[in-house]
Amino acid sequence: MNDRLPSTDPSSAARRRLLRQGAALGAAGLAAPWLAGAAHAQEADLAPYRSAKINWRQVEGESIAVAVIPASYFDHLGTLLPQFEALTGIKVRIEKVPPGQIRQKATLDLSSRTGTYGTHAADPMYYPLYVANKWVDPLDRYLDDASLTDPAWFRYDDILKAWRDADSIGGKPYGIPYDGEVTVQVYRKDLYDAKGLKPAATLDELVANAKALHDPANRLYGLALRGFAGAGQNMYIYPSLLKGFGGGWFRGKDVVVNSPEAVQALEWYVNTLSQYAPPAVRNWNWPDIADAFSQGTLGCYIDAHSSAAVITNPEKSKVAGKIGYARWPKGPRDKCVTSIWNWGFPINAALPEKAKKATWLFITWATSAETQARTSWKSAGAAKRSGINRLSLWKSPEFADAMKGAGDNFIQAALDSLEQDTDVEWRPRVPQWPAIGETLATGIQAALVGQKKPKAALDEAQARIAQLMKG
Amino acid sequence: MRPALTLAAQERRFALALLAPALLALLLVTTVPLVYLAWNSLNRIDLGMPWMSGFAGLDNYAQMGSDPRFWNSLWLTLVYTASTVVLQVLIGLGLALLVLQIPKGQGVLRVGAILPIVLAPVVVGLFWRTLVLAPDVGLVDVATRALGLGSHNWLGDPQLALISVIAIHTWQWTPFAFLVLLATLSTLPGDIYEAARLDRAGAWQRFRHITLPLIRPAVVMVVILRTMTALSAFAAIFAATGGGPGSATEILNLYAYRTSFTELNIGYGSSLAMVLLGITMAVSWLMFRLRKARS
Repeated sequence: MNDRLPSTDPSSAARRRLLRQGAALGAAGLAAPWLAGAAHAQEADLAPYRSAKINWRQVEGESIAVAVIPASYFDHLGTLLPQFEALTGIKVRIEKVPPGQIRQKATLDLSSRTGTYGTHAADPMYYPLYVANKWVDPLDRYLDDASLTDPAWFRYDDILKAWRDADSIGGKPYGIPYDGEVTVQVYRKDLYDAKGLKPAATLDELVANAKALHDPANRLYGLALRGFAGAGQNMYIYPSLLKGFGGGWFRGKDVVVNSPEAVQALEWYVNTLSQYAPPAVRNWNWPDIADAFSQGTLGCYIDAHSSAAVITNPEKSKVAGKIGYARWPKGPRDKCVTSIWNWGFPINAALPEKAKKATWLFITWATSAETQARTSWKSAGAAKRSGINRLSLWKSPEFADAMKGAGDNFIQAALDSLEQDTDVEWRPRVPQWPAIGETLATGIQAALVGQKKPKAALDEAQARIAQLMKG
Repeated sequence: MRPALTLAAQERRFALALLAPALLALLLVTTVPLVYLAWNSLNRIDLGMPWMSGFAGLDNYAQMGSDPRFWNSLWLTLVYTASTVVLQVLIGLGLALLVLQIPKGQGVLRVGAILPIVLAPVVVGLFWRTLVLAPDVGLVDVATRALGLGSHNWLGDPQLALISVIAIHTWQWTPFAFLVLLATLSTLPGDIYEAARLDRAGAWQRFRHITLPLIRPAVVMVVILRTMTALSAFAAIFAATGGGPGSATEILNLYAYRTSFTELNIGYGSSLAMVLLGITMAVSWLMFRLRKARS
């Protein structure tokens, strides 16, 4: 037997051929009924979309690329893509880019006008930058074009107003919100009930609650807020505090960040975290906070309502079933202000006309009520998406049913926040935001870690921002 | 009639032709981007304010004078470079002298010493951030708590963060100094030491007057190479602290990166990068001159 020349052994070659044929047959046998079933199911799947009075197949054969972040709510969308391709004949390639890099990658693509991504999951704070550079198309012309949008079917006005406004500049929409979130109070209902505490209505009550529960010796801290530096980290919490203290971002046309209210808000942030939060909180982003809360070491936190998916996961959380939600506490000026975050889809202006149409069809499909439902309560898996974009869906019994495991007052707290506590100027919407957000985030962190006093940190940030904005 | 000359010229031309593709590639991937960077540094390119774009002369450089973050980053670059290089040479030399005394098993140590060097700096940064310096669960924190020194926020406290990133860099690159110095030390002739011992020179005297002068070329070489790496360090700090907290570990390289790609002020970021390039070139030129003068 010659081991080194297996190819000359006729029996081995024949066996391999046989195996290959067998495998092919097996695969065909398995796939055929599945294919037929899929085709059959798809007809029914597509019916809700076909009721729209537009020609979904008008740019059949186009292909586009879409950049999103790796998140379950975009994964759900990815699994539905075969339906979109069957509906329109448009090929969509989804590219996942980590949240820390997606802004840079999109900016690079847009500024070099390479047209790589037809659309991408966009940060609402970047629209002023995009629009100033004319990198994205105004979407009113797509919304108003009867051949591209059936208004009665798409119902743009049903999308939450706060998020529509956040994705519009000068009254014109530049992005269509796909998924979003609001910051709310999340608290340990069991601990609050045991001590007779109520969810805080004011920032003072929030501190009092934290004080009542704070017991570091037994690994229980009063509260936590994001402390890590970054335009989407500490600058995700601080703007709500600033607005709660009655501050604003502008004096005339200038961005001013060191007003007396701003200093008060930052002092509150620094003092509260240093007194009642775990020491490492200054390096924490929301996943760290949600983890600590899941481990039962936090009495309360304020962050995105969608973090409920982490803390109610019975496999990882020790506190599932013991959680309650409430709106932001009011600041001294009697104002609650929540975040207006959403991932929206703009249209890249560097695309050829046909690709733009294909991109628009993708956007309307992804943000339509039907797809929103299919990526939430109609999706497979235990955790249902909670960031759906439409008021009618938020108020639907199906959504209430899907969210009943989240805890006490979940939908009501989030919905009240969305309808009453939003402010489109939550953060300064100017093209220079990337630089301003970064500068402020760095300054705030310097104050949080005790490197600088709040006033000094904001004065320094102001000096730099004035320099940045100088014409 | 110049047949010989033509032949030499022909040969030279042929050699040039053979080199041309390589030179061209080198020109395209190194010189052209560098020139482009220099050109960008003379322009105002701020994506946040596209309406302001245009040629700006030396404005970007003038702006640095009144930019406290620039001076802070320059100071940090100096501290970071000087301390990491000194530590690497001291620890590397100490280790090499120790290991030289070990009769057996030096080979294993040498292989072990290479490991940190072959790791990508990003991996090193993340590794230290998540496994070594994380509060509560990190190795260092476990050790300090066991010793009764308490838990510290190693990367979250401004001073500790700077010390931490210096420690990370030193940990990764000391083995390089160690290996080079060990190799040099093991080539030193034994008879000189024997003669010194006959003259009753003590251990310190032998080290000070024989070992050090003999290994000086190697030490200088290590210092030059390590200085250039330290000046252009980026990935490990980026992964471990991102330049924070605040701007406590923001060396010039990171500041240029943040300015260009987070704040989208490409023009000013380019000029910062040009300054770093200038400093690196000046320092290495100085050191090479020093080396020539002494030897």
